[in-house]
Amino acid sequence: MVRTRVRPVRPVRITVRMTLTMTKAQATVVRGGLAAMAIAGAAWWTTATMDAQAPARRAQPQAPRRAYAGPRTPDGKPDLNGIWQVMGTAHWDLEAHSPEDGVPGGRSVVEGGEIPYKPEALAKRKENYVNRATADPLSKCYLPGVPRVTYVPLPFEITQTPKYVSIAYEIAHARRIIYTDGSPHVEALEFWMGDSRGRWEGDTLVVDTNNFNDKTWFDKAGNYHSEELHVVERYTPMGRNHIDYQVRIEDPKVFTRPWNMRMIIYRRLEPGLQLLDYDCVSFFWKKMIK
Amino acid sequence: MSKEVKVNSPIARRIVKLAIAASMAAFASHPVLAQAQAPAGGAAAKRPAAATAKPRSAADARANPPWRPVTTYVPPRTPDGQPDIQGMYEPGYFNQPAETAVGGPWKPAAPKGGAQIGPTDFGARQAIDTDPTTPHVTPTNKPMVVDPPDGIVPMQPWVAAKRKEIYAKQEKPEFLDPRVRCLQSGVPRANTPVYYNSYQIMQKPGYVVIMYEWNHMTRIIPLDGRPHLDPKVRLPMGDSRGRWEGNTLVVDVTNFNDDSWVLGHGGIGEGQPAETATSGHGIVHSPELHVVERFTPIDKNIIRYEATIEDPKAFTRPFTIAFDAMVRGREDHQLFEYACHEGNRDGILMATGVDIDPSQK
Repeated sequence: MVRTRVRPVRPVRITVRMTLTMTKAQATVVRGGLAAMAIAGAAWWTTATMDAQAPARRAQPQAPRRAYAGPRTPDGKPDLNGIWQVMGTAHWDLEAHSPEDGVPGGRSVVEGGEIPYKPEALAKRKENYVNRATADPLSKCYLPGVPRVTYVPLPFEITQTPKYVSIAYEIAHARRIIYTDGSPHVEALEFWMGDSRGRWEGDTLVVDTNNFNDKTWFDKAGNYHSEELHVVERYTPMGRNHIDYQVRIEDPKVFTRPWNMRMIIYRRLEPGLQLLDYDCVSFFWKKMIK
Repeated sequence: MSKEVKVNSPIARRIVKLAIAASMAAFASHPVLAQAQAPAGGAAAKRPAAATAKPRSAADARANPPWRPVTTYVPPRTPDGQPDIQGMYEPGYFNQPAETAVGGPWKPAAPKGGAQIGPTDFGARQAIDTDPTTPHVTPTNKPMVVDPPDGIVPMQPWVAAKRKEIYAKQEKPEFLDPRVRCLQSGVPRANTPVYYNSYQIMQKPGYVVIMYEWNHMTRIIPLDGRPHLDPKVRLPMGDSRGRWEGNTLVVDVTNFNDDSWVLGHGGIGEGQPAETATSGHGIVHSPELHVVERFTPIDKNIIRYEATIEDPKAFTRPFTIAFDAMVRGREDHQLFEYACHEGNRDGILMATGVDIDPSQK
């Protein structure tokens, strides 16, 4: 693991934007060491911001090289310990949608804009959407599944050790223990949260999750999957406080091809913050017993 | 449950799921199986490298009570200098009485058409105990309650009355064991050794993280001396603040609601009088509950647990429980998903008449 001291992310990003818009002469202002980083960063930033409109031509977007200047753990990995949260509206609908009562409008987080359902799978989504108030598994306090658990509008806390990245979520005290010790998946079981095995590709944490059941949804709009779901998440730290979160969804039973979603995970910076245990099941029983 | 799962065929897979479901259902609903009795003639637990201190004065007795182990074991250190207690743990002995029975021993009737079910039928724990690669503790008959010396939980009259009511009306949803409703255990109940639980401890700078397999509970315990949450915030697992006293992790827990029971493992026998209970089943508390826990690694394999429970509304005096709660398991042990509520559709239907998920029919 090469550990070089690189400059803070923010000035680099400004340089990046300038090189894109400046003339050749102006661009020479950008000097030596920074230039290489700037180019790598530019390519990544442009794709990141253009994702919503861009056609899905990159099968698996590459992580930026050397872009990470934040703290590292003793074993040299980016230090992801802390409390994080996704902002945005993916929780309500992954695809572009208008605002409605109780639902903020949102742009699509799906690469290419639309989820490539098989024609015969679309009816089920439509039915889910119509019945979403009661059919959404979250309305029964069920575990949210992956990747939905990442972008529900509640925070989560990462605990990182050389062998594991454990994520505790505020919602439903859901938890994932991501093995980064090279151990293989368990075989042929079904879990609400799947079986997660991770590896570091440079500074990107790549998490491969399978062994799902078919009972969770991707959002409140009824986007769904079968038990053949296979999820590959890429957590690429963009700096100390942001993670570029890319997810590849594969489920040959429901979709015509694998597809990607992408969003930013933000570090929650409020001092003394802690998870406050949104224990849906206890609310459920309060309603039941009265 | 076995952690070495290699199931290939869909049929075998279903059998595994059924077996898991059946064992859980049996435990939750079978009054006799759920009634755990300590085996007779249990030998005192062997505790290598641990000795019992003899207090010399009153002040010394408070600082070094007789049940607290004095250990020469020095755990390794994490990179940030904490005593390193990370790893996989199995429950210690689970069938130890939580308190002394005051109504004399109570013998459940044999189940109709079946063999007498005794305390040795806890297969999962037996599997652990007979696995030569895992460390052992010897079950004892010693009460969990070490203070007061009579071993009896000092319940306020309303708590004792409530307990009787719970025993009498255990079929009604409002008297159901919170665990059967898949609510989180609370503290210290989360650390009661039960065969269907196991633990993983992780540490990161400034925190100890205790993960319980049962109901995927996680406690993230900050060590930075920050104050407790605003008293307006009430949480099922409370609000934990930790510190290291030598090699002992001391955790102060407040900000509870009153959804949980203080103690309890297993269930109760049909018709069992509350006075004869030894499992801690049905002991409620108020939101004023305040627990001070001590996790001491007494050797490289065993974590001794002590908790002092204070709640003037519910108990006439503070009381203390102590036992070997966690025994190091195999390093390749894995905490599996324990989707308790998700698998409880039938239980909810039975208790409330409400079918929350007709799609599971």
